[in-house]
Amino acid sequence: MTKKAIMTAALAAAMLGSTIGAATVSAEDYSDVNIEIISKGFQHQYWQAVLLGANNKAAELGCTINFVGPNSESDIADQVQMLDSAINASPSAIGLAALDTEACLDSIGKAQAAGIPIIGFDSGVPGAPEGAIWANAATDNYAAGELAAEKTYEAIKDRIPTDGTVVRIGILAQDATGESVVNRGLGFIDKMAEFLKADGHSVKLEGNDKYVNDATCETSDDADVIIETLVPSAVTSELSAIDCQTLLNKDDIIAIYGSNQHSGEAMVTGNENLMKFGQDEGQIIGVAFDSGAVIKAAVADGTFIGAVTQAPVSIGEHVVELACKAAHGEDVADVDTGCQWYTAENMEDPEIAPNLYD
Amino acid sequence: MGDNNKKGNAFTNNPIVRAIGVQKIVVVLVIIILALFFSAMSPAFRKYPTLVSLFDYSYYISFMAIGVTFCLITGGNDLSIGTGMICYSLFGGYLITKMHVPVAVGMAATILFGMAIGVINGFLVAVLDIPPFIATLGTMMVTRGLGSIVTGGMSISWPPANAANGWFRSIFKIKGDGKMLPVGFLLVLFLVIVMSIFLNKSRPGRYIIAIGSNKEATRLSGIKVVKYQMLAYIISGFFAGLAGIAYGATFQSIAPGTGAGLELDAIAGAIIGGTSMTGGVGTISGTLLGVFVMSLLKTGLPFIGLQANWQQIITGLVLIVAIFIDVLKNKRAERR
Repeated sequence: MTKKAIMTAALAAAMLGSTIGAATVSAEDYSDVNIEIISKGFQHQYWQAVLLGANNKAAELGCTINFVGPNSESDIADQVQMLDSAINASPSAIGLAALDTEACLDSIGKAQAAGIPIIGFDSGVPGAPEGAIWANAATDNYAAGELAAEKTYEAIKDRIPTDGTVVRIGILAQDATGESVVNRGLGFIDKMAEFLKADGHSVKLEGNDKYVNDATCETSDDADVIIETLVPSAVTSELSAIDCQTLLNKDDIIAIYGSNQHSGEAMVTGNENLMKFGQDEGQIIGVAFDSGAVIKAAVADGTFIGAVTQAPVSIGEHVVELACKAAHGEDVADVDTGCQWYTAENMEDPEIAPNLYD
Repeated sequence: MGDNNKKGNAFTNNPIVRAIGVQKIVVVLVIIILALFFSAMSPAFRKYPTLVSLFDYSYYISFMAIGVTFCLITGGNDLSIGTGMICYSLFGGYLITKMHVPVAVGMAATILFGMAIGVINGFLVAVLDIPPFIATLGTMMVTRGLGSIVTGGMSISWPPANAANGWFRSIFKIKGDGKMLPVGFLLVLFLVIVMSIFLNKSRPGRYIIAIGSNKEATRLSGIKVVKYQMLAYIISGFFAGLAGIAYGATFQSIAPGTGAGLELDAIAGAIIGGTSMTGGVGTISGTLLGVFVMSLLKTGLPFIGLQANWQQIITGLVLIVAIFIDVLKNKRAERR
C-alpha cells in the first residue's frame, strides 16, 4: 500500500509540477513537452522504480508523460502496436525500452520520418537507423554482465581444478532477443573467459545458439570449463525453474548466474527441492541480477553470494530529462546509469539500498 | 454392448481391460515407458528431488485439467483457466500480502473469484448460447487484463514457507529436516476420486455427460440443460481457483499478463487421458494420467539435454497422436 501511496503522491506531484513547478526548478521551460514512454511492462518491481523516477523528473521539469507497457515481456507485437500508437499521437518525444529491437525497426523509421526524437532506455536500440535514437539512458548491460562475471570468478576461482577436470558454469537467460538480457549474458561470458584464460584455463560454450555464436571469447573443444546458457521456449516460471534444475543436477556444475529478476526468481524456485545453492564447500555458487523481495531474501540469507542491481530510479529520471532536452532540440548524449554489486553485507548501505526494491 | 464384443480382440475384450478402458491402459504404459526412459538416460532424473519437483509443477495443471474436463465432457471448452488461474492467484496473493487478510480468507477469495468467472462463462455459454470457444476466449482476455489491474501491474508473491502465514504451503509440500513430502499429490488424488464419483454416480454428473452426448435429447427428456451446463463451468472455475493457490505455493512470484497457454497444457492433459473434444466421453482419472504425461515430458526432456524448442515439438507430437487415437475410436464407433 505504501508504494501505491508513494506513486499516487508522485503522480499528484507530477500534475502539480506541470502547472507550477517548471519555472522554479529548471531554467528551461518544458511545460510544452509531452512524452510517450513505452516500457517493457510493469510485471517486475524494477519497472515500478523506473516509473517512479520518470514521474519525479516529469514533476520537476513540468513536462507531461504517458508511461505505458505491454502486459508481459513476451508481448513483442503488443509493444510494437503501443509504439505505433505513440507515434500517431505526435508527441514531442518518445522514450523506448524495446523488447525486440528488430520488431521495432519499422516503427522507429516512421518516428524518424515524422521528426519525433526517440530516447532509448533500459536496453538500447542498436541497429536502429542512423540518427533515429538521439540518446540512451541505460545500464551498460554488457558491463553489468562483466561485473557479475568478476564477482562470480572471485568466488569460484579456487574451485576450478588445475588437473583438467571439466567444470561447468551455467547461465539462465530469460530470452535471446532482448538487448539487455543478451548483453548481460555476453558480457558475463566474455569476461569470464578472459579471467579463465589468464589463469590457464580454456572455455567451451554450450546451450542457446545466440549466446554461443555472439560471444567473442576464444573457445576450444577440449576446454576444462564449459559455460552453458539455457533459454526457455517461453517465459514461464515453470520452464525457467526446470532449466535451473537441469543445471543444478549436472555433476560438474559449480556456479549459476541468472541474468534478470525472472531468472533469479526461477533459481530460487528451482533450488527449492534440491537445496544446492550456498557458499560452503560443495555447494553451488548462485549469482542473480536485479532485486525484488525474493532475490533480496536469497542474497540476505546467503543462498546467493550476491546480485547486480541497476539504478532504475535514475534510468527513469534520465529518460525524461533526455526526452525533454531532445524535444527542445538541445544536444543530448548517452547516459550510463550504472550498476552495483550487492551482497548480504552491503545491501543496507545508503548508496545501494535505494536501488533495491521489493 | 454385446456388439462390441464381437468386434474387439482378446485384449480389448478382457473384462478388466474393458473396465479400466483401453486408452487409460495405453496412457499408463506411456507414463511407465517415459519414466523408465528418462531414468535410464539421466541419473539426475532418478533422484527423489526430481520426483518432488515433478509433483510440485503438476498440481496446478492437474487442478485446471480436472475442472476443464467437465466443460469438455459437455462438448464445450474453457480457455479462461490459464490466465484466470494467474488472475485469481494475483487477487488472493494481493489480499494476503498487501491487504493483510488471513491466508485462509485469501485462499477462499481466490477460489470464489474463480467460481465467479465460472458463473459468467456458464451464463455466456448456457444462457446466451455463445460458442464456448469464443465465450471463454473472451473471458480469457478479460482475466488477463483483470489480473494486471488488481495488482496495478505488479507481480505478487504469496507468503514464503518460513513466514508466519506460510502454512498453506504445507498443503502441497511438507518440508523439514532436509526431508520433503509431496502431500499435494494426496489432495489431487482425493479430488480425482471425489470428482469421479460425482461425475459418474451423481445425478448432476450424469446429466453433464448426457448433455455432451446429445444436448437436444437431454433437454427433451426434461432435464434443465442450462443449469447443468452452467454447473460444468462453475466447477471449472472452482478448480482454476484451486490451481491459483497451488501456483502461488509453488512459484516465487506471479507475474500479471502471464498464464496464456497454460490452459492448453491442462486441456491437452484431459485429451491425452481420453476425454473427447466432441463431448460425452471422459474420465477424471484419465485426465490425471494425461496430465502426468505432459508433466513427465516437461520435466524429463530437459534432463536428457534437449533444447527448449524440441521439448515443445515433442509435446505437440504426443498431443496429435492422442487426438488421432480419439478420432480412430470415433470412426470405429461410427462403423458399428
